[in-house]
Amino acid sequence: MSTPSEPPEDTTAAGASDDDWTYVFGEHGDLVGESDLRPGADSCYKCSSCDTSCPVAEVDDDFPGPKFQGPEQWRLKRQDDTDIDPSVMDCSNCMRCDSACPSGVPLSQMHNTARAEYVAEHLSKTSVEYWRNRVLANYGTLARIGSKVPRLTNFVMGSRLTRFLNDRLFGITGEREFPEFATETFRSWWDDRGGDEESRRRARQVRERRADSDPNDPKRVAYFHGDYSNVNTPEVAKAMVRVFESYGYEVAVPDQRCSGTPMFANGMLDDARRAAKFNVETFHALVEDGYDVVCSCTSCSMALRQEYPELFDFEGTDTVAAHTYEALEYLRVHESVREDVAAADADFPDLAYHAPCHARNQGLDRQAVELFGDLDGVAVDDVGDSCSGISGTYGWKTEHYDVSMAIGEEMFEHMEGVEGETGMTECPTCAMQMEHGTGYEIRHPLELLEAALVE
Amino acid sequence: MASVPHITVVGGGSTGTGIARDLAMRGLDVTLVEKGNLTHGTTGRMHGLLHSGGRYAVSDQKSARECVEENFVLRDIASHCVEETGGLFVKRPEDTEAYFEEKLQGCRDCDIPVEVLTGAEAREVEPHLASDVDKAISVPDAAIDPFRLCVSNALDAERHGARVETHAEVTDVLVEGGEVVGVEIRHDSGPGKRVHGSPGSTERIETDHVVNATGAWAGRIGALAGVDVEVRPSKGVMTVMNTRQVDTVVNRCRPKGDADIIVPHETACILGTTDEEVRDPEEYPEEQWEVDLLIDELSKLVPLLGEARTIRSFWGVRPLYEPPEVGSTDPTDITRDFFLLDHDERDDLPGMTSIVGGKLTTYRMMAESIADHVCDRFGVAATCRTADEPLPGSEDHAVLDDAMQRFGLRSPVARRSSQRLGSRTESVLSRCDPNPVLCPCEAVSRAEVRDAVDQAGTDLNAVRLRTRASMGNCQGGFCAHRIASELHPTYDEPTVDDALAELVEERWKGERHALWGQQLSQAALKYTLQATTMNRDADPAAAEGDVDWDAFDAGDRPVADGGRGGVHRDDTDGGNGGD
Repeated sequence: MSTPSEPPEDTTAAGASDDDWTYVFGEHGDLVGESDLRPGADSCYKCSSCDTSCPVAEVDDDFPGPKFQGPEQWRLKRQDDTDIDPSVMDCSNCMRCDSACPSGVPLSQMHNTARAEYVAEHLSKTSVEYWRNRVLANYGTLARIGSKVPRLTNFVMGSRLTRFLNDRLFGITGEREFPEFATETFRSWWDDRGGDEESRRRARQVRERRADSDPNDPKRVAYFHGDYSNVNTPEVAKAMVRVFESYGYEVAVPDQRCSGTPMFANGMLDDARRAAKFNVETFHALVEDGYDVVCSCTSCSMALRQEYPELFDFEGTDTVAAHTYEALEYLRVHESVREDVAAADADFPDLAYHAPCHARNQGLDRQAVELFGDLDGVAVDDVGDSCSGISGTYGWKTEHYDVSMAIGEEMFEHMEGVEGETGMTECPTCAMQMEHGTGYEIRHPLELLEAALVE
Repeated sequence: MASVPHITVVGGGSTGTGIARDLAMRGLDVTLVEKGNLTHGTTGRMHGLLHSGGRYAVSDQKSARECVEENFVLRDIASHCVEETGGLFVKRPEDTEAYFEEKLQGCRDCDIPVEVLTGAEAREVEPHLASDVDKAISVPDAAIDPFRLCVSNALDAERHGARVETHAEVTDVLVEGGEVVGVEIRHDSGPGKRVHGSPGSTERIETDHVVNATGAWAGRIGALAGVDVEVRPSKGVMTVMNTRQVDTVVNRCRPKGDADIIVPHETACILGTTDEEVRDPEEYPEEQWEVDLLIDELSKLVPLLGEARTIRSFWGVRPLYEPPEVGSTDPTDITRDFFLLDHDERDDLPGMTSIVGGKLTTYRMMAESIADHVCDRFGVAATCRTADEPLPGSEDHAVLDDAMQRFGLRSPVARRSSQRLGSRTESVLSRCDPNPVLCPCEAVSRAEVRDAVDQAGTDLNAVRLRTRASMGNCQGGFCAHRIASELHPTYDEPTVDDALAELVEERWKGERHALWGQQLSQAALKYTLQATTMNRDADPAAAEGDVDWDAFDAGDRPVADGGRGGVHRDDTDGGNGGD
């Protein structure tokens, strides 16, 4: 078991016609057809808080901003209208507007739905842009293939020629270097280590040793690692496992697919739906068995918690959402991690910490700084509340590269301004941007936690 | 008498503008006078339903037949004013099967194309319909924009030589030697386009014939001429929702009753209505229970309405008429048919004809019949062409799918603008570059506002009803001042300020009936912007007398807030000022 998940099955028309859209504004079961978000415009009183919080609008005068993309555009729609302004493709899906709105307009849901409609209706299925976006959105599928031959992949993707051709032919910027594939994926490490069974054994040992836990009362988490920590940064995933096991948690690592984050951002809602369905089914079964879901990537936890319930209505979607946590958040809620960190010290470089937008949306933007503020031996400075600008696949697109870097400018400056010369963040693509803009090495809070707590 | 007879039409609603256009097209010399804006009376205060006739198919089949006939005429000649939404008569479990069958048969008798839908089929058309709706009859109802319709009629009348005077109230009907020979009017701000601050004036218009097309106000004009016109004004409330919960007209399939229709209208839905006789078409109570009734009753058809945001409510008065000998006591029993009152024949007063009753859907037919009557009197042989010649804006034109690229507008903005402007899209939108959106709620750009200002002078309510600017969810909170700014520098600051105040006041009339929930937040924000940021509630520049400007500068008062208070700052600032 536990082979990396299969490539998406072809769930043809039959699967796509299932009425599993969610209807936030109507009586469930009353509505037939596609989701209609016009009633969501009722909450907007046009205050423009969303526009002033939008990092893209801040640097790009041609971008009309979230208020237009969301409530205004939806309100102007009629049932059969398919006019979605192309500018929705310039939204980076940072979702800051959601937090900025004082009256609960479902902005990112409106953007995701509008973007999907734009891609379905207006983006030619034979265009380079469509396929470029589809490939970026399905990074996980490609990564699984590439990670089978990591050295060859790194060689090809790292070559100047590949980057030049990607830029010119495909619209993937040649300015950035592709993240390297690890020589061993997290999942193959996990399988070699003995999989879920081995984790149960180790966790039990810890519980027997620890005064604060009962060896016969298993604590269980199901780990949603996402694609990136599987193929690119397995050290983050390993740190997550070791930290949780050190608190006596039995970690399960079920088959899983991409969380869907890059698919939402590229308007590939059918792809996202297939991935989400698989993930919800898998993790719902585990939640029913008493597991909580833990993510190490804040965009993955965001997808499971907010985007799935806003966009889909598979059985168990809400239950999974209610039981999903970010890793640090989970430990802060359930374990004595604050005291443990305060009592520990770590041999780790000083850090410039950037809170990803999606962490911010979950109220997690200060947790790393608060937690590690008490840790001896490492200075952790928050580099401020600006957006890194890369927003997943957004900053990889040739046409968005300049906007992405302009948004990131503030973060780069602040990183240069603090003591640490190593970066830290929860989000893999924020990490890419931080590294690209400053040349720093970028670490994950779980790695620091591992250094502090796991001997 | 001059070789071309001169006709004065009183009333700038659908009937009056329709008559003016018809007569002008037949070559007569026409002056139209209206005491307010075009559509100031009933036309501007209706729910915008273009009847299929289904509503009258049981109780009033003559009206039903006229409606369905005119419905299809208007789709052609006023295509840019009509949205072909279709309509449904939906039956709830408590509504009788017998009436459903009667309605269906009535529609068939009147040649109204119908189709019966199951509850599930109806919900496929309108997903928000209540889950217990049993079945429905689909009819060719549509939505019509009464403002655009009247403005187009008036524009075309002017193209055919008519003179259109708004803000010109008839103060007297001139009767000499037992015959109506003209009217006396009072111009609010002088003849021609309205400009705030221009002095008013009176004018005597001598005319060969007066057509009284003032609807619910017909009794008043009649009285000025000394004749009785027994209109029975009946009020009805309409509530505007913030979004479209339905895209099809939804009627409840039951005998006459209040609160039984939802009309999708542009970006909104309009709920209607009630029917209660009033004495005076201008002075009647506007009561909250009427609004509550609409929402409660119509939530039974579309449950989402119970929670949805309303942006305003307004009342209109129907110009009902029935010959006095009928004596209906309930206004819902009064026919919706129209009546031509020839005062020569009826009251021995030649020179004037009144048209009363009827409805917007049949306005053109009413205009045709009165124009026939007038032409007959003057021996004019020209025939009516209004059923065939499209209104300005509805001439054949290619659909502008590329309006967005051509005019630099966002696609939903381009879509809504070109729907409003019809065949005028190209000429209006190409007039200004850059062309920013001034009213984002309704997607109205500067070019459209300037075009309306050209037609309407400083009357921003006339600009509003031509463009829909300020009719969206913020009710002018974010755009009223932007629209007003377009008047400058053609008009000076005090004029622009008066014009802005008038628009804001007009918006408030309807908003005050929706002050709960989200629209209350909206009103609070609007108040803050208008009163605080723009200081419109206590602008010293607008006050009488001199402003002591020095008081705003250094002044002698101690500064207590730690601000940079000026030269006389002393100990009271707590020592932390000026940081």
